Amino acid sequence: MSTELKEKETEAETETESASSRQSRRMEQKRQRASRRDLKEEAREEIDDADDTIEIKVFRFDPEVAGKEEPRFDTFHVPFFKGMTVLDALIYARDHYDTSLTFRHSCRQAICGSDALFVNGTQRLGCKTQIADLEDHLGSTIRIEPLPHQEVVKDLVVDMEHFYDQMEAVEPFFDADELPEGELEEQRQDRENREKIKMSTRCIWCGACMSSCNIAAGDNEYLGPAAINKAYRFAMDEREGEDRKQQRLNIIEQEHGVWRCQTQFSCTEVCPKDIPLTEHIQELKREAVKNNLKFW
Amino acid sequence: MAEHYSSFEYKGTRWFLQRITAVFLIGVLAFHFMLLHFVNHAAEVTFLGTQARMQQVGYFGTMIAFLVTATFHGVNGVYNALVNQGLSGTRRSTVKWVLVVASGVLILQGVRTSLYMAGILS
Amino acid sequence: MSQSYDRGTIEDFGRWKEFSAGMWAWIFHKFSGWVLIGYLFTHIAVLSTATQSPEMYTQTIRSLESLAIVRVLEVGLLAVAVFHILNGVRLLFVDLGVGLEAQDKSFYASLAVSAAIVVASVPTFLAGAF
Repeated sequence: MSTELKEKETEAETETESASSRQSRRMEQKRQRASRRDLKEEAREEIDDADDTIEIKVFRFDPEVAGKEEPRFDTFHVPFFKGMTVLDALIYARDHYDTSLTFRHSCRQAICGSDALFVNGTQRLGCKTQIADLEDHLGSTIRIEPLPHQEVVKDLVVDMEHFYDQMEAVEPFFDADELPEGELEEQRQDRENREKIKMSTRCIWCGACMSSCNIAAGDNEYLGPAAINKAYRFAMDEREGEDRKQQRLNIIEQEHGVWRCQTQFSCTEVCPKDIPLTEHIQELKREAVKNNLKFW
Repeated sequence: MAEHYSSFEYKGTRWFLQRITAVFLIGVLAFHFMLLHFVNHAAEVTFLGTQARMQQVGYFGTMIAFLVTATFHGVNGVYNALVNQGLSGTRRSTVKWVLVVASGVLILQGVRTSLYMAGILS
Repeated sequence: MSQSYDRGTIEDFGRWKEFSAGMWAWIFHKFSGWVLIGYLFTHIAVLSTATQSPEMYTQTIRSLESLAIVRVLEVGLLAVAVFHILNGVRLLFVDLGVGLEAQDKSFYASLAVSAAIVVASVPTFLAGAF
């Protein structure tokens, strides 16, 4: 399918090319059109055969193509099969109906964190969301939009740059004071401490939490749940160096750090990895207050 | 973005004070409502009744503390709400000083009124 | 990548039907907070009549209290104050990290208890107003 992405450019370039290459290109296009017809035909047959079909309504926007600069919604009919996820439905729609439908996806198993989407009004991972779990999935249309509060680049793709900046702002790396003697010796952590930070290590940087956060939407400088959780992951790790921990606490207790959290629990509710984000933010607030009380 | 986070030390003092005043206000606000709507009915308030209450040192002190904490808690809450909406820069410092002045006026006027009520000024 | 589309505020409060308990709690808490600080300023202004003369103070309060609309607004004030107190207690527990799993239930509980207290107080607040 990916060969078709260049179709538009190809048409413009044709003028300057030699007759033979023009002809071969035309043949190629014809073949592609034919295969697309086949796919549409295939989709029609599959829909006829399927016990159930679903209807997805997808946000479309492409600032680079004339006629698509205005955001709109496209509706696709997709045959439903058991175990189908929102991502599967999108892939089906892209492969059978519209190859220009754009969205990020990679591992399809909720690890890469690239397909956080706004599905029926909630931030979810496309690959982790079972169509069957959506309310009235056969009777009503499933609305799929890009993550709110981030700028849309194209269709379902949003600009993640700001999110990554915030994640990096908390210096998300490990910096122990002392390293073990032997070259191959591990840096041990006791089981209890491992349990404490376990959930916080699960973050896959999908950005669903940040997108759901009403405060992050209003205050662009707010670190956001994911970054604060990242800080928690290192600050609460017993192997973390003392200086680095203090430095990290200084970052999160800035005005636009933990204090901005209003405990709306939006992030905790949407986190696809079930990280108790609000709990971690609250713990860091208490940690920061305790830390400062010592110096009063 | 990353460059906004300097090592400038901001302590969560206001956050902490907001919680401390909250604890105090929970009790006093409930007491205030009980006293002036259930024990004494608001419709039957007279200056003499008010004076009788305000002349008790403990009550007077509680009401002054109530005024100060409520003003802090309320005005700080308003300020936080505005900052959460992304208020920044000059507008933010303007709003901050307007709120500080308003709180100052409110507390001064409140204390002055209390002194009249207690009969210390007349 | 030269342009990107910002969908504006439609995605915020236009989505109120999709808000969850924690979000509603925040909205109500903020709203009641605004009402309470607004009331504090007016309250001190009204009480300031005491600086004029004792008679004026008594008379101002009496005439205000004789208005039915004022009595109804007082019930509203009670509702707002009780909710702010109860949800405030809930938020203090959240700050202490206690019962975070039940934060939605505690919000519904604070709503229900506020409603019960307000309904029970209506007779006292409106006595003699109509």
